[in-house]
Amino acid sequence: MRDRLRTILRIARWEAGGVSHGLDRRTLLGALALVLIIGAVVGGGVAVGVAGFEVDRDIYHVGVEPNSPYADAIEADPALISVGLERAEVGETVDVAVYETGEGVAVTTAETTKGEAAAEAVRAAIEAHNERRMAAEENQTAAFPVTVELRYESRTVAGTDGPTLGEDPIDEPDGADADNTVDSGPTDDESTVDSNDATDDDSTADSNDATDGEDATAHTDPADGEDGFAVPSIGDGGGEAFGADAVGSPGSITPPFPFLSLLLAFVFLVPMNFLIQAYGSSILNERINRRGELLLVAPIHAVDVVAGKTLPYVGAAVAVTAIIAVGVGGGLLSVLAMVPIALTFLAATFVGAMFARSFKELTFVTVAVSVLLTTYAFIPAVFTNVTPVALISPLTIVVLDLQGEAVSIVEFLFSTGPVTIAAGLLFLLGVGVYREEDMFTQKPVPRKLLDALAVRLASVGRVDASAEADVESTHRWGIRRRVRGLATVAFITACTVPFVFVAELLAVAVLFALPVTVSIPVLLVTLAFIEEVAKSIHLYAGFERDIFARTDRVAVAVGLASGLGFFLAEKATAVVQAVGLTDLFIGRAAFGEVAGLDALPLPLAIGLFFAPLALHGFATVVAAVGASRNRAYYTMTLVIATLLHAAYNFGVVSLYG
Amino acid sequence: MDSRFTIAGRELAGLRAEKTILLAIGIQLFIAAFSSFLVVGLVSMYDPSGLDGAEIEIAGAGDAVADLERAADSVPGARVTRYEDTAAAREAFQNHAADAVVIATATDDGGVSTVVTVPDSNVETTVIVVQLQEVLQVYESNERDARSGSLAEPPLPLPERTGSSPYFTFTYTVLIPLLVFLPVFISGSITVDSITEEIDRGTLELLRVAPVTLTDIVDGKALAAVAIAPIQALCWLLLLEVNGTPVSNIGPILALMTALTVVVVGVAVAIALVAPDRRAAQLLYSIAVLALFGGATAMAGGPTNAVARLAIDSADLTTYLTVAVYAVLALVTSLGVRGFLSRIDIDAIR
Repeated sequence: MRDRLRTILRIARWEAGGVSHGLDRRTLLGALALVLIIGAVVGGGVAVGVAGFEVDRDIYHVGVEPNSPYADAIEADPALISVGLERAEVGETVDVAVYETGEGVAVTTAETTKGEAAAEAVRAAIEAHNERRMAAEENQTAAFPVTVELRYESRTVAGTDGPTLGEDPIDEPDGADADNTVDSGPTDDESTVDSNDATDDDSTADSNDATDGEDATAHTDPADGEDGFAVPSIGDGGGEAFGADAVGSPGSITPPFPFLSLLLAFVFLVPMNFLIQAYGSSILNERINRRGELLLVAPIHAVDVVAGKTLPYVGAAVAVTAIIAVGVGGGLLSVLAMVPIALTFLAATFVGAMFARSFKELTFVTVAVSVLLTTYAFIPAVFTNVTPVALISPLTIVVLDLQGEAVSIVEFLFSTGPVTIAAGLLFLLGVGVYREEDMFTQKPVPRKLLDALAVRLASVGRVDASAEADVESTHRWGIRRRVRGLATVAFITACTVPFVFVAELLAVAVLFALPVTVSIPVLLVTLAFIEEVAKSIHLYAGFERDIFARTDRVAVAVGLASGLGFFLAEKATAVVQAVGLTDLFIGRAAFGEVAGLDALPLPLAIGLFFAPLALHGFATVVAAVGASRNRAYYTMTLVIATLLHAAYNFGVVSLYG
Repeated sequence: MDSRFTIAGRELAGLRAEKTILLAIGIQLFIAAFSSFLVVGLVSMYDPSGLDGAEIEIAGAGDAVADLERAADSVPGARVTRYEDTAAAREAFQNHAADAVVIATATDDGGVSTVVTVPDSNVETTVIVVQLQEVLQVYESNERDARSGSLAEPPLPLPERTGSSPYFTFTYTVLIPLLVFLPVFISGSITVDSITEEIDRGTLELLRVAPVTLTDIVDGKALAAVAIAPIQALCWLLLLEVNGTPVSNIGPILALMTALTVVVVGVAVAIALVAPDRRAAQLLYSIAVLALFGGATAMAGGPTNAVARLAIDSADLTTYLTVAVYAVLALVTSLGVRGFLSRIDIDAIR
């Protein structure tokens, strides 16, 4: 054991040395110089005022009388260009024209979508202008007659008790409270906690603190409509919706949106993209000109080689994350939550580098990994304070940590567990082909994938078909082996469940834009296809690599085993969710209503508990029988299995929905 | 000239054989779909007008609740039910009979203080808060009108809403530039890979035996990389067109992006020949492109904004001038790289 560790460390040292050799001082200095130059240019530009990330600058032309008060409002909005009314011809030179009438204002809009969008932008600009003028008024009570104090309160008993990680929110100084102008007697923070004895104190206090954190965020944000480079600027009127002014007027209340924390959390993800470039190059380098052969023939496990080569990058990821955490005010929790993300980035890149045939192909793989994982980590984190489903991404933990909120251990495990498991499985998949016949050959990616899967399988049935051996002996030692083979099949199928879940989420996301009449049927078929492929692809690999005997009996056996494995894994995840985080189900139901996720074939009723087992088993047997013949048969039976599955899904959806 | 096209053809054949170009298109499709998903999702969450039939029920109490009711009347989808006192309103909230509680009380200095309670942490909260904000803003505006005598400058009246979707602006200012510029980065990255791989595998030596110069080799590779970028962008723009998003000025947009591709590929060539290995080259390339693009976007009239204005048909003379400037820049870059290539010693590369 100690020897292995020493070997791993030695390889890690070589790897680290190689990196510093590749990235010599000149390169690093060059990179640094580039960063400095751009920092100076952009910083200088922003300081002088010529630069700004206004992607929507000057996109609408607005006709307005130059000396009307509306002209000022138009001028102040970077998206609008004002044109004198005498030259304004709606639909030709301008998209919208603003006229002052006796008692109000009238707009003429071009009869196009663009015209309508322009009119909406004008309205938002006037609104923003009004807010600014009111802020300058002498009589603030008349300018802002209504003050608002917004508080969040839970109505249901929250189910997450237990020890919490991170700082205790109650001890935190409530900086934001000072900003609340009116704090009327009967309902201040104290009484909010008291007034609902049913809810557990902790969670209510948490939620209040969340609000305060929000306020603080909004206040530190420079909110003058100039900071329009991110999501808020898309939509209505600059950063107005998210920038609270200290008065506490209706315009200043903010929906729960952890904007600044989210932005900071994104900073954690950026270095990962550079890291995997270096890592992918290093792995592929081993495969070019048989450079990795020396390590392969040495008496070292492939696992140790891979571990050694990966270690420096994990170290680098942790170091960079720690530096960023110190920089942006994150704690140990942020670093801990980032480790699984870093591992997943590295694992996916490792598999990509093992499969890729050239640097060019690797580049695409790296880009794909970056894009997929960044969205997977980032998008749920956007909904941090909105729905508990956000916890599927560990980045949500980082956002919570940056907001100074406590995270329970259950939440932490729920968030990081699946990602860590997925990373481990990907590494296993890649290590399977870390051998001579796959590393130094130019096999197409699908064949390598089959190789990688086949490595993990154990044989079922007698592969040696020519031998007319006696049935007796097969029976005697065959039972245990057969059970082992089938258990492996079921286990591998179970391992695919996290990936299936991710793939299904992505499918939902991609099909989201289509109209419902199209998207729901397409979605049902796609989800069925993803699951059927996950259940049968390794069976196909087993038959193709002669690990399974090509008989119908074996096909039925492995098909049933695979179906059972999938069923058990799916149920296990459902049980974990139901036990661990009850409110997650509520969250998902709510999320489903908004995003169309309710089409997900999650059989919720206990009465139908075993129906999926029959379905999974039967459909997979169909696909397995095809897989035992050849590719054409497999394709055909896979289609049939998908259709069966989709029909079942459709039945479930129409039953419940 | 002939040999360059041969090399370019070989490059493209390599991309086709590896089917990487399909992966590239897949990635772009994914980014496009996901950003639409994100925006449509965010819009429907943060702007309930995009969410049909989002109705919220407000439990109102306090001495100024009548004015609140009046304000809610003019906001579609919001209704105020009056309760006797705070306790009754809160009870309704706890029993899920109301989505939010608003306690409105007149203050001593003549204003109104409202305490708003909304449910904690779920999707509805956002919708409720946004809807409440609208009610309160109408309320505020009514109250302001009543006090306009005390204001030096009363607020300007607002025009009617048109019900336009914020998605429109997003499509033109973010989605289209994103789709147009992604192929640019990919082309540059391919160039870096292609050249460093020749050096790394030692095949550049072999090419030297052939009757071609280093400039020919690099030209061929750059040609292939530059050629695929506008084709991808054109596919995207046509797809958007089919989906009902009219894109104006497709020609100038493609000219702009091709010019930018030439610049980026030129930078990629220079970096690939200077940097010691692929890792260093890709790192430097990424940083250089981020710097170049970030810097250009931050400038007024940067390429992102230029594409947005061209696509939405709000281009003016300066926009076309921007296109011309980038074309000149492309020319300068390609001449510069040529000069650099003629001075480089092929034996010095490994």
